[in-house]
Amino acid sequence: MDPSEVEFLAEKEVVKIIPNFSLDKIYLIGGDLGPFNPGMPVEVPVWLALNLKQRQKCRIVQPEWMDVDKLEEIRDLERKEETFTPVPSPYYMELTKLLLNHASDNIPKADEIRTLVKDIWDTRIAKLRLSADSFISQQEAHAKLDNLTLMEINTTRSFLLNSLNCMYKLRSNLQPGSSRGKSQDY
Amino acid sequence: MPCERKPMRYGHSEGQTDVCFDDTGNFIVTCGSDGDVRIWESLDDDDPKSISVGEKAYSCALKNGKLVTAAANNTVQMHTFPEGEPDGILTRFTTNATHVAYNSSGSRVAAGSSDFMVKVVEVSDSSQQKTLRGHNAPVLSVTFDPKDEFLASASCDGSVVVWKIEEQTQVISWPLLQKSNDVTNSKSLCRLAWQPRVAKLLAVPVETTVQLYQRDSWALVSTLSDDLGTQPINVVAWSPCGKFLATGSIGGLLTVWDVEGKLCVDRQKHEKGYTVCGLAWHPSGTQIAYTDTEGCLGLLDGLSSSSSSSTMAIKSTKPAPESYDDLFDDNDDDRPMDEGVSESGSPAKNLVALDDEDDDDLVPATGRARNRSAFLDDENSLDPGSLKLGLDKLGNYEDDAGSAIVLPAASAAPLHPVYEGPMPTPHQKAFQPGSTPAHLMHRFMMWNSVGIVRGYNDERDNAVDVEFHDTAIHHAMHLTNSLGHTLADLSHEAVLLACPSTDELASKLQCLHFSSWDTNKEWMVDLPKGEDVRAVCLGQGWAAAATSALMLRLFSIGGVQRELFSLPGPVVCMAGYGEQLLIVYHRGTGFDGDQALGVQLLLFGRNRQQVIQGEPLPISRRSHLSWLGFTAEGTPCFIDSEGVVRLLNRSLGNTWTPVCNTRDHCKGKSDHYWVVGVHENPQQLRCIPCKGSRYPPTLPRPAVAVLPFKLPLCQTTTEKGQMEEQYWRSVLLQNHFGFLSSSGYEIDEEAQSRAQKEQQELLMKMFALSCKLEREFRCVELAELMTQNVVTLAIRYASRSRRMALAQRLSELALEKANQLQGPEEEEEPLQYTRRNTGSQRQTQDEEVHEEEEEGQDEQMDEGDAAENRRQRLNPFAKGSPASPDKPSPKPVNKEGRVNPFKVSGGTGRSSAGGQPRATNVLDSMTSSSRKPTVLLGSSVSAGKLSKTPVLKPLAPRPKSKTQSTLLNMSASKAANKKPAEEREPAVDRLKPTEALPPASPADNVENTKPKTGFQLWLEENRKSILADNPDLEETDVIKEAMGRFRNLSAGDRLSWTERAKGDEGDLKKRKRAEESQGDDNGQNHSDENSAKKKKPLDTSAKLSAFAFSKN
Repeated sequence: MDPSEVEFLAEKEVVKIIPNFSLDKIYLIGGDLGPFNPGMPVEVPVWLALNLKQRQKCRIVQPEWMDVDKLEEIRDLERKEETFTPVPSPYYMELTKLLLNHASDNIPKADEIRTLVKDIWDTRIAKLRLSADSFISQQEAHAKLDNLTLMEINTTRSFLLNSLNCMYKLRSNLQPGSSRGKSQDY
Repeated sequence: MPCERKPMRYGHSEGQTDVCFDDTGNFIVTCGSDGDVRIWESLDDDDPKSISVGEKAYSCALKNGKLVTAAANNTVQMHTFPEGEPDGILTRFTTNATHVAYNSSGSRVAAGSSDFMVKVVEVSDSSQQKTLRGHNAPVLSVTFDPKDEFLASASCDGSVVVWKIEEQTQVISWPLLQKSNDVTNSKSLCRLAWQPRVAKLLAVPVETTVQLYQRDSWALVSTLSDDLGTQPINVVAWSPCGKFLATGSIGGLLTVWDVEGKLCVDRQKHEKGYTVCGLAWHPSGTQIAYTDTEGCLGLLDGLSSSSSSSTMAIKSTKPAPESYDDLFDDNDDDRPMDEGVSESGSPAKNLVALDDEDDDDLVPATGRARNRSAFLDDENSLDPGSLKLGLDKLGNYEDDAGSAIVLPAASAAPLHPVYEGPMPTPHQKAFQPGSTPAHLMHRFMMWNSVGIVRGYNDERDNAVDVEFHDTAIHHAMHLTNSLGHTLADLSHEAVLLACPSTDELASKLQCLHFSSWDTNKEWMVDLPKGEDVRAVCLGQGWAAAATSALMLRLFSIGGVQRELFSLPGPVVCMAGYGEQLLIVYHRGTGFDGDQALGVQLLLFGRNRQQVIQGEPLPISRRSHLSWLGFTAEGTPCFIDSEGVVRLLNRSLGNTWTPVCNTRDHCKGKSDHYWVVGVHENPQQLRCIPCKGSRYPPTLPRPAVAVLPFKLPLCQTTTEKGQMEEQYWRSVLLQNHFGFLSSSGYEIDEEAQSRAQKEQQELLMKMFALSCKLEREFRCVELAELMTQNVVTLAIRYASRSRRMALAQRLSELALEKANQLQGPEEEEEPLQYTRRNTGSQRQTQDEEVHEEEEEGQDEQMDEGDAAENRRQRLNPFAKGSPASPDKPSPKPVNKEGRVNPFKVSGGTGRSSAGGQPRATNVLDSMTSSSRKPTVLLGSSVSAGKLSKTPVLKPLAPRPKSKTQSTLLNMSASKAANKKPAEEREPAVDRLKPTEALPPASPADNVENTKPKTGFQLWLEENRKSILADNPDLEETDVIKEAMGRFRNLSAGDRLSWTERAKGDEGDLKKRKRAEESQGDDNGQNHSDENSAKKKKPLDTSAKLSAFAFSKN
């Protein structure tokens, strides 16, 4: 799974938009959307919101959690806690990136939000690395990590799994290998 | 003014302060939130002595050289005075004390605390304590009865309590104040004060007034108030003589009252308008020291003392009317008074002199005032002739103080009457609905369903932004606002802007007509000099401007000046929609916070008319208009500052119905909803939630929220209330269909029929509920609201739940409805033809038709004499129609049927009162023939297609027999007491089909044939054999017998019968379809109706089982 796939999943999240056109309900496989009344907030999936936004057919209303105060709170909590704290949205990083890249004009204090989300992300990734480090150094067989988002898992998965495999190989080589090595020595 | 306001000086840091004089009057003592007590030798004392008593000092009291303070360390401490040595702690609380007070002798101290308690402590021995418990919130203030018997305290729980100190019990408690949770949050400190010496009155500051309560009777004897005091009064203090009362208010207004005469003898304004929180009289009564919440100390000097002569008092009161009393002619007032003062040494003589003068030129004014001066009770009222008597009485009352004190008051009274009646409300300013106030730098000049007009007016820029919700209308515009437009409106066609006149420039109206097809998209009009635009609005093809000259100017959207007319009053706001113009203006002056608004609704269509002619606009009490407009469907609607949304109910004589209260949805007290649009279909109130304000800011861009409507019906928590609310809401919000169609717009018929269906379903549910609750009368009332088809269902429901009396009444009702239904239909037809022929008159006739329809609806609702009228009107048709050639009547059925409806309708016509006995008669005559229809089944079905006129009522029999048998099915299988019920049953069935069927569209047949059971089929075939076996059996017995036999059949047989019944039904359906197609030919305007009806009964009958009421 690569990040673009995760992003694709994130696009199924729902956001509010304020359309500037009027359209009846549209019936899609994923469910009915609309009706769209100009000026009236309506909930649509992110992919549609972005599409409409790119065509300048709507304004995107930022999700509730995408607010400087709330994010500051979350960041502080995240820094304080040892473990992972619950995140405002399972796709917070993806949504922030998508919405801020495409609709930063609709979101007040976009830069601050970007920074805050990046801070949260960095903190969490640092925690993740740290826990991976201690996991490996203590040679644990399993570990429990709560409140991780898909994207976060995804960033570390390929590397971690590969390196674990490698290490396993190295280690398993080491023990019999030590004898084998000896035998080679012989 | 003899009293001189000395400049304030800084005493303490910001916060609550208190002040008192020492016994000799040589020192002023203040305490403040810096925790210091300062002793000032005079106001000019540059180096006051400071005593630190704690972190904060809330209150202080001084007597006999002992200074008591309430400090933040939860104690009440004592210090020697003037040395300032600590002298021990009097008492402690669990939290800080809020107020301390000495009794008159200085032997006791009372302290109120935030821990809800009041303690009374002996100064000499602090172990002698009395605790008064009973307040439910922090105590605001305490005061001793000068006679040491009682103690009064005020608390944040809103109560003012008088305690008997010895018994530590409450004597009386008045809920006078606004509740709060803490002293700091309390609006007023509510410092109580007991009249010194005579101890007769207790002064309680309540809001902006001071209420005086009489000792022992504890009755409210008087209220001191004046219209200048708009802010709550914080503190009150009696003059040492007990004659004057000083008050200090939140807004810094200091007032001195002559209590006897209820006169304001002096008013002073705090120089900075800070809240006065401490007030003390000099022991001589010539000075008042006061402190404010900013920690400053001030002094009023030169007040007339109580012991000085009465003329002094008069003198001191003289300036008051000059400066404040605009209700009376000042000059007239002054002259007699001056003379009186100069020529008289004796108060009594003075009075006489005054009287003479008064009689000459101000009789009414003084007469009134004098009466008012006797505030004690009716007994004491003075009339000019018996002044002496009045004085005696006053003297009696004032037993301790003596009449010397009374006299000046009585004499002063006539000169300064205080008007206490209802106060006129200032007129609400004109505004644009959907705009935020003009003084804001960034504001919404208009937010409506089309778009948003924003105005910016700051240093950088003076501009107007126009943005459309739907960019398909027009792209956004940015205009420089060099003219300083303040008013705006926006429609699909144009932007209308208006600015007030300036010194050089006239008031202008600017219109950006962006939908114009030529290249000139803009026009501008100057108003005549001296005329200012107050309100503007746009309609379809026109613009309107109301001006300060009470004129309404109409323009075409292209800039042609059209009609103008005068408005009955200053405009408040206007709204346009299509061809409707809604104007709200001031009808007059309201009183006590109410606005007196009038409303006009004009139509500019082809038939111009005034729909609402200046009727009063019913807004909530003490509120003003905050939004006016039309719903998206064109119904006038307005919202007042209390958040109540009212909608015009066109079907109830243009009354206004409250449909929503936005305040119900607010979370906080200061939250509001700023409405931007109202939609009836779907039912939505579109508004912007404003946290802690009335108006939204322009940035960040506010988001629209949607509120539901809710009629304020009673008991909407109960299921009944809920359904009633839903029903009437649906009825109300469906009115616009009628209006739209009448004014020639297309209407969403699907939505309309959906709404109607919803209503009928609700009615049916309510019906079921009432049935469940055994409210049969209510059931009938509900049935009166139903359409005829649903009544049929209701009858079925009633008979199924074995309420035969109800079913019978319902069937009568159904008949009436049937007749009614036919009346309008017949009348409508000719109208429609004429409409087609005469195009020019089309509009008016549409109107008529519409009215007709509405009338019909109304009648269904109130179902009275009018119904009978209709029936009479109908009769000629009924008679005439048999002759009509295109409706041949099938013979046997017809004959019988034709008789029946006449019988029945004749009966109903005869009496609405004696319906019951008549009905039974009818059924007696009919029961014998009840078998026949069953046999004639086939023929009657084929006759179904010929339905529609009264003649064809005969087809009734078929369905009747069927329902009958289902009924019997049930009753036979149950109930020991079925006999009497059964007797009625056939009658009910009889009546019902005949009545129900007349409109007799195929739909009815569909409905009626459907529930054919296997047993019925079996019965049809086997009836003969049963009859042969028992020739003497009655109809009901035949069925009973048949039931028995049917039950004796093997299960397999029974199943096969049921199977057959199903097959039959399918057959019938097919046949029905054929009939339908024929029925369609009957007339195109009926075909719609038919299809609608068809749909409905099918659905509803399918849901009938669902109506089996679920709640217990």
